[in-house]
Amino acid sequence: MNTNSNTYTVIYSIILVVIVAAVLAFAAMFLKPTQDANVKKDTIGQILTAATFPGVEDAAILDTYKQEIESAILVDFDGNKVGELNIEECEVYGNSDLKRQITADPKALPVYIFKNGVTVVPCYGAGLWGPIWGYVGLEKDLKTIKAVRFGHKGETPGLGAKISDEPSFAEAFVGKTVGEGEVIFEVTKPANRQTENNGVDAISGATITSQALGKTLDQWFGFYQNYFAKNGITEVVDAVIDVEPVNSVEE
Amino acid sequence: MANIKETFLNPIFKGNPISVLVLGICSSLAVTVQLKGALVMGLSVIIVTGISSLICSLLRNTIPNRIRIIVQLVVVAMMVILVDQVLKAYAYSVSKTLSVYIGLIITNCIVMGRIEAFALGNKPFASLMDGLGNGLGYAMILVIVAFFRELLGSGTLFGFQVIPQAVYDFGYMNNGLMILPPMALILLGCVIWVQRSIQKDLQEK
Repeated sequence: MNTNSNTYTVIYSIILVVIVAAVLAFAAMFLKPTQDANVKKDTIGQILTAATFPGVEDAAILDTYKQEIESAILVDFDGNKVGELNIEECEVYGNSDLKRQITADPKALPVYIFKNGVTVVPCYGAGLWGPIWGYVGLEKDLKTIKAVRFGHKGETPGLGAKISDEPSFAEAFVGKTVGEGEVIFEVTKPANRQTENNGVDAISGATITSQALGKTLDQWFGFYQNYFAKNGITEVVDAVIDVEPVNSVEE
Repeated sequence: MANIKETFLNPIFKGNPISVLVLGICSSLAVTVQLKGALVMGLSVIIVTGISSLICSLLRNTIPNRIRIIVQLVVVAMMVILVDQVLKAYAYSVSKTLSVYIGLIITNCIVMGRIEAFALGNKPFASLMDGLGNGLGYAMILVIVAFFRELLGSGTLFGFQVIPQAVYDFGYMNNGLMILPPMALILLGCVIWVQRSIQKDLQEK
């Protein structure tokens, strides 16, 4: 047979491509459930880190989550509860779900409340080369940041990738607060900072990733602002209210 | 049989794809920060070179000459995607650290080079051995470089601390340069240097 004729070449390539496509499609379908389970486990691992349970081993992630979570709810833009996530099945909002919420109206934003008092909220946005996302653990006042965990698809290794693999960057968030009004949160160099405690320093050499992260956090904290305002428990403010009536009586 | 043994063993030292043929340098710089990643990358390349050489050798008499590079590419790409999918399902954390580099095995010159130079002109079993041998030669260099980079750059091996805290207390510090790609190139140069001083026939006059 003449293996150099046009007909042979065309038929050969068609058959080859069909066989390869079939093999790959089969493999993708067969492995999909396991891969999805891995992605979900990874997401829960990140949520746990933000809830101050870092470094949980792979096998223990689901059990730890079930054990430590108090409730996982969905809230709308006004801060009202609109749904609930199944804890027994470890239902969480993955990156694709979060992406949908950015433009969705009405929104259904996930809030993970842990037994240790930490509330974890997610964020998702565009970085320099691909998506970036993160989980922020807040204290009971829903203002002060307790722990964070960021992730990215393909930021520059050694520069933008530091948002996820540089421990000191995550540590810088601890104790910072979510602001109100014009600037809710910013990640920029100190000279450009407009607020005192509602931001952290950018990573040098990774200006665009830092700015993108700041923008993403600002946007998502904005989504949650009404929820934070309604549900934040501020012990200090309570104390002030207690004191005021006493003063007025004295007057 | 002796010939096949030679085919398998030659690329591991005497005709090593990285240190003698200088193929696949790019990925060996990128994935050798940690031993674990280097090992998984090495295994992936062994599987890809071995099986795609085998498949191409089986098909060698039917492949139309004009599209042979494309056929090779399709076979290699299929193998790489399969490896990537399996890693994502069963070794998720490693697959996350290696990220794009598994996909980039497609562009690794060793794979295409061996298919074009060997598998298309030899019997399937010999081609399989040639592919496996070249993959193994590649993996070996990766592991050597990663061993020194992880040990001197992070003080760990496979993620376990091996340099004791007492040494750090004396003022020893991890070498930050080791983690960056330039040091991989320098280490690779040292490996080639060692090999050339052992194998005199490689030295240029």
